[in-house]
Amino acid sequence: MSATSSDTLPYGAPRIRDHPLLELEEVSRIYGEEVEVYALRDVSLQIFPGDFMSIVGPSGSGKSTMLGLLGVLDLPTAGTIRIAGQDVSTLDDPTRSRLRGNSIGFVFQQFHLIPHLTALGNVETALLYRDLRSRDRRERAYLALERFGLADRADHRPVQMSGGEQQRVALARAIVTDPLVILADEPTGALDSVNAANVLDIFRSLESPERAVVMVTHDQTVAGTARRKVSMRDGRIVSDERQSDAMQ
Amino acid sequence: MNAVRDLVGVAWAGLKARKIRTLLIMLGPVIGVAAMVSAVGLTESAKGALQAQLAQLGTNLIIAQAGGTFGSQNPTFPSNAVQRAENVSTVTSAAATTNLSGVISLPIQGASTYYQAFPVPVRAADDNLPSVLEVPLLDGRWLNTSDSQLHLRSVVLGSGIARQYGYLPGEVRTILLNGTNFGVVGVLGPVALDPDLDNAAFVTEWAAKHLLGTNGLPNQLYIRAVPGTTQGTANSIATAISLGGPDQVSTKIPSDVLQAAAQANKTLQEVALLAGLLALTVGGIGIANVMSISVIQRSAEIGIRRAVGHSRAKIGGQFLLESLFVGVLGGVIGAVLGVGVVYAVSAFAGWVVVIAYGDIPIWMGLALFVSVAAGLYPSIKAARLEPLETLRLG
Repeated sequence: MSATSSDTLPYGAPRIRDHPLLELEEVSRIYGEEVEVYALRDVSLQIFPGDFMSIVGPSGSGKSTMLGLLGVLDLPTAGTIRIAGQDVSTLDDPTRSRLRGNSIGFVFQQFHLIPHLTALGNVETALLYRDLRSRDRRERAYLALERFGLADRADHRPVQMSGGEQQRVALARAIVTDPLVILADEPTGALDSVNAANVLDIFRSLESPERAVVMVTHDQTVAGTARRKVSMRDGRIVSDERQSDAMQ
Repeated sequence: MNAVRDLVGVAWAGLKARKIRTLLIMLGPVIGVAAMVSAVGLTESAKGALQAQLAQLGTNLIIAQAGGTFGSQNPTFPSNAVQRAENVSTVTSAAATTNLSGVISLPIQGASTYYQAFPVPVRAADDNLPSVLEVPLLDGRWLNTSDSQLHLRSVVLGSGIARQYGYLPGEVRTILLNGTNFGVVGVLGPVALDPDLDNAAFVTEWAAKHLLGTNGLPNQLYIRAVPGTTQGTANSIATAISLGGPDQVSTKIPSDVLQAAAQANKTLQEVALLAGLLALTVGGIGIANVMSISVIQRSAEIGIRRAVGHSRAKIGGQFLLESLFVGVLGGVIGAVLGVGVVYAVSAFAGWVVVIAYGDIPIWMGLALFVSVAAGLYPSIKAARLEPLETLRLG
């Protein structure tokens, strides 16, 4: 996102540096009805513009639940989640979906590209239902692919591409909407070390004062890349620290 | 509007990505609609020639025949029977003819023995008979007022008699009626609704009275009714002509016999329609089945779409639209196939193709309805799918 972007966020919230983009306030997520299992317990977290953070923790620590809640794919059992000041629980599905589409870019471990669509088609998927002319949509998608060196792969289907290429297509899909927050789930988990390093480089390049990049991982190397590191255990945040030596 | 376009694009891409699957589930609506179109088309086309003839002849001709009056040998109508018939408001036109019994018609002098044994019926007829019958003349002209006024001895031959007499088109020819020479002025075309007329010779009423010595009272009326009122008109005619008097009138609608013959085999048609409906229903179940499985197979895609901001309604719409396309395409292909079958079989069997094109949209609509109904459950299932469960995070 460039410095010339608009002064307001979607839904009219003022774009002020100190206001969190994403905010969890005493959020709990309980699964099961007869036997209640706390996946998250009273978690509070604020993600600010410019944050480049990792959320780490062992399996079962609540990372995935956290990711689902941060991405508004799930709603909390208790507590409040705000995106750009907007309480997501109060929104109906179309509004919440639009907010998700506009504010959040997902990158998944398994890439999650739609197999029957080309690279370009996959990136375009994120731009559907936005009242764009198809030519504009295609052009924006193409530019996003080009940014990650995939211009010549635009017409290829996922099966025709390597893992690293697929993850870059997924990255193009995540950034094409110019989201406030990029949420990545083990983005290098399915990649070899060369491609993993490449993808991490891209993540670093996505860092911007306007945007937050959040990577959920159990990989300490990935976590070490981030400036801010949130550690989780048993559904709680156990530490939230700034890392001065990150990135190197 | 763009959202609809996007949705159409997504649904279309989804169908195109699985061509074989799409074609297979399309078979239901295709076979259903094709079966119904060809079932009706084939049963109708089998009687197509008769139906075409009937459509050309019309079903509104009534023939009224004079019944016995006090046991008379030659029952007749009153002389103003045509006016009386035209008093019925649904009668559009009427013409009278008179059977002239005892008039011997001879093509040449020497043939009297044969033609006395097999007499040619001679009729006096009104000027407007061909127009009431809607039958053109094969040759020459019909009788007209000058024939009566100038006391011309004109005769028009029925098509059968013309052939029997060996009359050539345009030939100057006289025939003998009770020994008097009459000049042939024309030949009436074949009258499919009353073939009796093909074997008759026609003269004017004047000639009948003054040259052939009959009373000139009509005994047969040809009546055209307003289409759709034929039966009612036929019922009123008897009263209109007899006016409650002793004249007896019997009426018949000659097209009824033809109509019965042209009737398609309804039972066969219904059985075939039912089979088509069955195919459509089974096809619908197939669509529901395949789409349901497809939703499970494509759960990751659904999760991805939800993650990039597509709402539940859009996801549901996407799947519903896929079913709808299957229905529309299946219906169109089925209709084309059905029509093709009717044409092919008709060409083979030598039938006149009859296709109720007006009914085809109904069957296509039925296919569409079945497909959309079948897609409803899978679509709802797709819309309700929780993205978190399908994306396998962490």
